[in-house]
Amino acid sequence: MNKELEKLLFNPVRLKILSFLFSVENASFKKLMEVSGATKGNISVQIKKLEDAELIKVRKKFEGNYPLTLCKITSKGKTSFKIFLNSLQSFGVNKSADIEF
Amino acid sequence: MNKVDQIKVINDMINEARTSLKPLSFNLVFWGIFINIMSIIHYTFPSFIQQTYYSAGIYWIFLPMIGMIYMTRWNIKKYKEMGYSTTLGRVIKIVWAVFGLGWLMISGLAFYQGINPVPDILFLLGLVSVLTGAIIKFKPIILGGIFLLIFVLSLYIYPGQNALIVNMIGITLGLLIPGILLNRMKTDE
Repeated sequence: MNKELEKLLFNPVRLKILSFLFSVENASFKKLMEVSGATKGNISVQIKKLEDAELIKVRKKFEGNYPLTLCKITSKGKTSFKIFLNSLQSFGVNKSADIEF
Repeated sequence: MNKVDQIKVINDMINEARTSLKPLSFNLVFWGIFINIMSIIHYTFPSFIQQTYYSAGIYWIFLPMIGMIYMTRWNIKKYKEMGYSTTLGRVIKIVWAVFGLGWLMISGLAFYQGINPVPDILFLLGLVSVLTGAIIKFKPIILGGIFLLIFVLSLYIYPGQNALIVNMIGITLGLLIPGILLNRMKTDE
């Protein structure tokens, strides 16, 4: 597996963001903050890193007078995540962790 | 973080991303109650609802349109609150939006041609219910849809039946009861 990807997803917040986005079509910044349990500042940094690595796409818009940030996993992000997942499963940890897809 | 922890994080996130079916159950219950109340009012006061050639058509087109506007706004608000969307959620939305469009078209055409729209609407509702139940793998909705299709057949075989009573029974079995059962499910899946 790509060392850069492994390093990127070693961070639990980034791993949470990418795992969540892998399972949904898109998610708001607020929702990602909620599921990852990270602070606003921390999640902004981690989203930026994932965006720079082209694993996710960020779209900003306005809803009424309020800004809304939507994040979506890219095709590259999906492929990378699958590779990452396969590498984890090759360690045989999936049996003990009871993962389902 | 070791590999087992990483797998656990991934599993937890996938579980977090499940499609909530509570909004769908609220939609089914809302329409079940709404249509039944409309049917009861029509059945109880037929002379009032059918006082002119157009009044029944107006009653059955405009009131559901108000319901649709209310529910559309409610659904948009609910999905905004959730903060994420899934493919399953999008498919359900498309299926019911197509039904809403079909409902309006059937009602409009029936009004224009002066025919009873109940069998066609129940038929469409039956199909959409079976489809929804199959998509979310929830048998009571599939069964409700099948009941609706049986009621449509009965309306064609025995045309003398009171369409409003058939409508009430069909809507109760096809929307209201499956909606309540879906709402009472322990998990959102």
